[in-house]
Amino acid sequence: MSAAQQVVKRAKYKTTVKDPGHKHTKEGSNKPPWLNLVHSQGSYIFEFESFPDLHVCRELVGIALSKHVETTKVVSDEQLSAAEMTLRIKLLQENSKLQKLHKELVASGKLTESEFWATKKKLLDQDESRKLKQRIGFKNSLIFDTKPTSDGRIFALKPAVHQAFLNFVPSKMSEVDFWNKYFKAEYIHSTKNTIAAAAEAAEDEDLAVFLKDDEILENEARKKVRRVDPTLDMEADQGDDYTHLPVGIRLRKFCFTISNCSRYSANGYPEGIGEITELDHGIFRDGSKETSEAQNTLYRRTLLQDLNRQSEVVLEGKTLDIDTEHPRTVAEVLARRKQESDGVIEEERRNRISKMAQIEDLQAQDDHPFAPLSIKDPRDYFDSQQANAVKTLDDSLAGKETLRCNLSSEQVYGSLRKSISNIKTKGLKDPLLSPEVALKVLSGLTKNISSTKSNLGKSSQESVLDILPSTIKEKLLDARRLKDAISQIDSKLEEIKVSAKSDLRHQVSLVVHPMQQALEAALLHYDADEKKRSAKVPKPNGYV
Amino acid sequence: MASVPSKHYTDDISLLVVTLDTNPFFWSTFSFHFSEFLSQVLAFLNSILLLGQLNQVVVIATGCNSCSYVYDSSSDRNHASTNGTMPAIYSNLLHNLDEFVAKDQQLTTAHKPGTVPSSLLSGALSMALCYIQRAFRAGPMHPQPRILCLHGSTDGPEQYVAIMNAIFSAQRSSVPVDSCYIGSNNSAFLQQASYITGGIYYRPPQLDGLFQYLSTVFATDLHSREYLRLPKSLGVDFRASCFCHKQTIDMGYVCSVCLSIFCEHHDKCSTCSSVFGQTQSDVASADSRKRKAS
Amino acid sequence: MPEVRIIAKNFMDMVASMPAMKLDKLYENAFICEAILRSLPPLAKKYVLQLLHIDGPVSAKLLAEWVLPDGLSKHKVAVDRLVQLRVFVEALDSGTLPRESMPSNITVRLPTLEDLETYALAQWECFLLHLISPSHVDKTLNISSSLMKVFQRRLLSQRDREAPKLTESGFQFLLMDTNAQLWYIIREYISNSEERGVDAGDLISFMLELSFHVIGERNIIKDLADLGLVKLQQGRKESWFIPTKLATNLSVSMTESSSRKEGFIVVETNFRVYAYSTSKLHCEILRLFSRVEYQLPNLIVGAITKESLYNAFENGITADQIVSFFRQNAHPRVAQRIPAVPENVTDQIRLWESDLNRVEMTEAYYYDEFPSRDVFEGACDCAREWNGLLWEDSKKMHLVVKSEVHPYVRDFLRRQK
Repeated sequence: MSAAQQVVKRAKYKTTVKDPGHKHTKEGSNKPPWLNLVHSQGSYIFEFESFPDLHVCRELVGIALSKHVETTKVVSDEQLSAAEMTLRIKLLQENSKLQKLHKELVASGKLTESEFWATKKKLLDQDESRKLKQRIGFKNSLIFDTKPTSDGRIFALKPAVHQAFLNFVPSKMSEVDFWNKYFKAEYIHSTKNTIAAAAEAAEDEDLAVFLKDDEILENEARKKVRRVDPTLDMEADQGDDYTHLPVGIRLRKFCFTISNCSRYSANGYPEGIGEITELDHGIFRDGSKETSEAQNTLYRRTLLQDLNRQSEVVLEGKTLDIDTEHPRTVAEVLARRKQESDGVIEEERRNRISKMAQIEDLQAQDDHPFAPLSIKDPRDYFDSQQANAVKTLDDSLAGKETLRCNLSSEQVYGSLRKSISNIKTKGLKDPLLSPEVALKVLSGLTKNISSTKSNLGKSSQESVLDILPSTIKEKLLDARRLKDAISQIDSKLEEIKVSAKSDLRHQVSLVVHPMQQALEAALLHYDADEKKRSAKVPKPNGYV
Repeated sequence: MASVPSKHYTDDISLLVVTLDTNPFFWSTFSFHFSEFLSQVLAFLNSILLLGQLNQVVVIATGCNSCSYVYDSSSDRNHASTNGTMPAIYSNLLHNLDEFVAKDQQLTTAHKPGTVPSSLLSGALSMALCYIQRAFRAGPMHPQPRILCLHGSTDGPEQYVAIMNAIFSAQRSSVPVDSCYIGSNNSAFLQQASYITGGIYYRPPQLDGLFQYLSTVFATDLHSREYLRLPKSLGVDFRASCFCHKQTIDMGYVCSVCLSIFCEHHDKCSTCSSVFGQTQSDVASADSRKRKAS
Repeated sequence: MPEVRIIAKNFMDMVASMPAMKLDKLYENAFICEAILRSLPPLAKKYVLQLLHIDGPVSAKLLAEWVLPDGLSKHKVAVDRLVQLRVFVEALDSGTLPRESMPSNITVRLPTLEDLETYALAQWECFLLHLISPSHVDKTLNISSSLMKVFQRRLLSQRDREAPKLTESGFQFLLMDTNAQLWYIIREYISNSEERGVDAGDLISFMLELSFHVIGERNIIKDLADLGLVKLQQGRKESWFIPTKLATNLSVSMTESSSRKEGFIVVETNFRVYAYSTSKLHCEILRLFSRVEYQLPNLIVGAITKESLYNAFENGITADQIVSFFRQNAHPRVAQRIPAVPENVTDQIRLWESDLNRVEMTEAYYYDEFPSRDVFEGACDCAREWNGLLWEDSKKMHLVVKSEVHPYVRDFLRRQK
């Protein structure tokens, strides 16, 4: 860009200046100290007496120009929003390097403002995204020092108070009264006097709201239990390896949390142990003593409940960024947000479960090599099948070659039953079979087996040889294959003999000749054997 | 250092489901006597049980009107009805078989005189597969199942679809179907069943040595079959029966949608209701008729 | 190497190693024939069956014809076994087994199969507990203490005044499955029988008959009843005994019966062990190598920790034994998975074991003060040639060789002088 500008300048002032080249000439060059000032209409070239003069002037001009650029260029370039502008300024303020660069490039006019920021776009975006991602959390200081109206902390911490505020405040009591009541209840809690709490609650029903266990919290706890992911994550990582973590460490960690709240650290500790066991995968080891004092439990609130609730809220983070507004609006906004987030969580959970539910083991195998027969109209199909079967049962058999049976069904069934009762009374035939028959059968089978050896797993139904009894066929196939192979080798040997160089031919033929002779003899023998065999009548063995 | 021996579930524990042909019409016309056949088979079944304590034998009688389980070595009812002269398996089986034949007789319907009706092979196969499915579902430690068809009567083409379905479901649950066919002609159904499921089809040429055939060939458990060379059937009759008239055909029409087989041209597939095109139908059907006549 | 080896040997191996005379005598009994038939490898069973009705000799080639190339080794094992058991007698004749029908069952009111099985297992467990820690058992067994001592001989070691401690082989014994344990005890019982004036051959044939339901001697029966092999049933006039599953398993090859038992252990990736068992014995076994955390009525929860495993390793249990114990007893839910025990757990168990074996001892000879570098290099090469060079420092000319190689290096050095 800047180079192009220079070209333009050069063209314009070619007559006045021969070779301006730079905006100002460098010290030590053989050119006189010139300064070229660019104007929208053109440029002026100043020739100075000495280089120091030039430098002073150049600086002055630079400052003037940078002011000029900031005011004019920005407005003219693009309509920048106020936020964009402040962001840029803030970035420049924070980053001295950037500021220097900006000064050098933009102020000197090498780059326009928008060009400069275009290269730094990443910086701008990053800043914006960072701002969006980070949620401002509550401080880990306890609620005990909060002012009633400061922000939504109390509401977030105690949904029941939140609800009560929405219900009571403008209609039933003033805001001041409300907070008075609230802190009175807090005070009663802090004394840990459950009997007094019960008495107070009996007197003032509004106060009772604060004193009682938070029902909404309970409901939520129940909801959370229901929300627990039913799928089991079997992928263990380092975090699961608790077996090697001594209990002491976990205990100390927890104590540390307690000591953060200075007021309760002294008496909070022993109860903490009860809680630790609960953290340990939900298995109670030593039970808890909290089941005592049954009648006043309603008004009892343990430090642990408070602590757990607080940490939960702190982890959740603040759902509201504006903290200066009226408690009333804060309460309303919070209520609305909560509903939204609940919906989101529920949806997330459903998605997760449906994703997890597709566990491989539970899926049916879907690599069926067979497609199911799809019958359009099953009733029609089966009816037609039935009808066909009945219709054809009689006439289909008639045409076939079947065994003739002229006996009546009574006769045949009778003879069958007779033979059954025959065995029943006489027992099995003894001996079952003679050794001669057994040996004959076994050797017959063995012969059969060894003859099929070569043709294992093949079914050559198309072949004409199928008509022949299998044993003969096998032998034929065997011998024929062998013969083919031999004659192939024979021809190959011939090839070798021919292809050898003339001077080597003699040696080669010396080697090959005996082999060829042997092969030829084998072929001759085969032919003779085949002639002999074909003269014999093949003995059928009944095996197809 | 001695280590605990590693253990695997041994594969040679068998669940043998035997379908026994009890077609009275066949047996009364056949040269080999039923009582002799039965005693050889019984001895074979007993030796299967003898080979392993955990071996299991189930026998299904296949009549021409019905089928029924006649023996189950794992059932508790086997202890009853022993008279001391023969092992429990024999007396139980014979008792049940006798009852079955009597029942089968009552179901007899009139058939064309002078012909031999075929046995209900499809029903027996289905029952065998059902039993095996139950064994599969009982737990991971089931014995290795296989089916042995001891048959002699001729194929009933009307059972073609049902038998093929049974064969394919056996193939799918990798249950081999062995067939020992004692009839005079080869059974195309059983040949196909054994071929498709990877079982053994064999037609013993010498029936008085039946026990020897059974114990040599068909007693081989699935585990040992990996190491042994067993008879292979060479020419399998792959002819199909048509769906419309249940006739065994060499050539026919096949529905391009559901692969149903027909012996003559139809306007509509009876299985999937696809409408067939009309082109050249007359020529083709004339051709097929001519072929049939020749 | 421990002197005593606990090997889960098959009963049939014992029978096979008997002298020919005694073996032939055993074959006179049909039940023994059946028991032996059942114990054979699958191929051998088939051979026996198909040669059953053949009287004359059959050539070995005829049998071999049937075998596929893959099965040759199996075929050889089968035939060797048959020859060993004298079922096949070479060249002369092939021995045939007498065919016998099963004896008819006595029709008495019998306890159901489940009852018998639970009885057998309970009895066996009680016996085992008694065996390991005699003091802890409330139920008494009437096995004579001398006999008990025989059983305990190799499993427990007792120093004076101290409670008996399990030996290395004792731990291994506990980790074996029930059938293998049974074999061990029965073997001890039989080998001890001579001292008690009972013929070993008679005892074996009786044991084998047991698996085919036959009544026998009384004294032995009582011992066996305590082991859970049989259940004594008092009738009005006479008493019966009913063999339990444990007894019938005697004739079955080990692998078959053990695989039938349902597992109860679930091991999770976080090193937790859940054992769904009411058995005290199981708890004791788990305690051998894990930290038992909770014991609920039907559930034992434990964790596998480094400490617990180190304890086990010290007692001579190996990582492989522990892992295979988990595998064999895996709960049906996890047994179908592969692997049944999470890989990270098995790996860790093995790693911890190898942690203990970091130092390997090799006897060696140390050479120094070589007269010259040439001699040193020569000696190094010589040791290397014999694959016995353990360490060398060429700067200082030091050399360490295995003790087996020492003579060669010594000779070499002598020759250099």
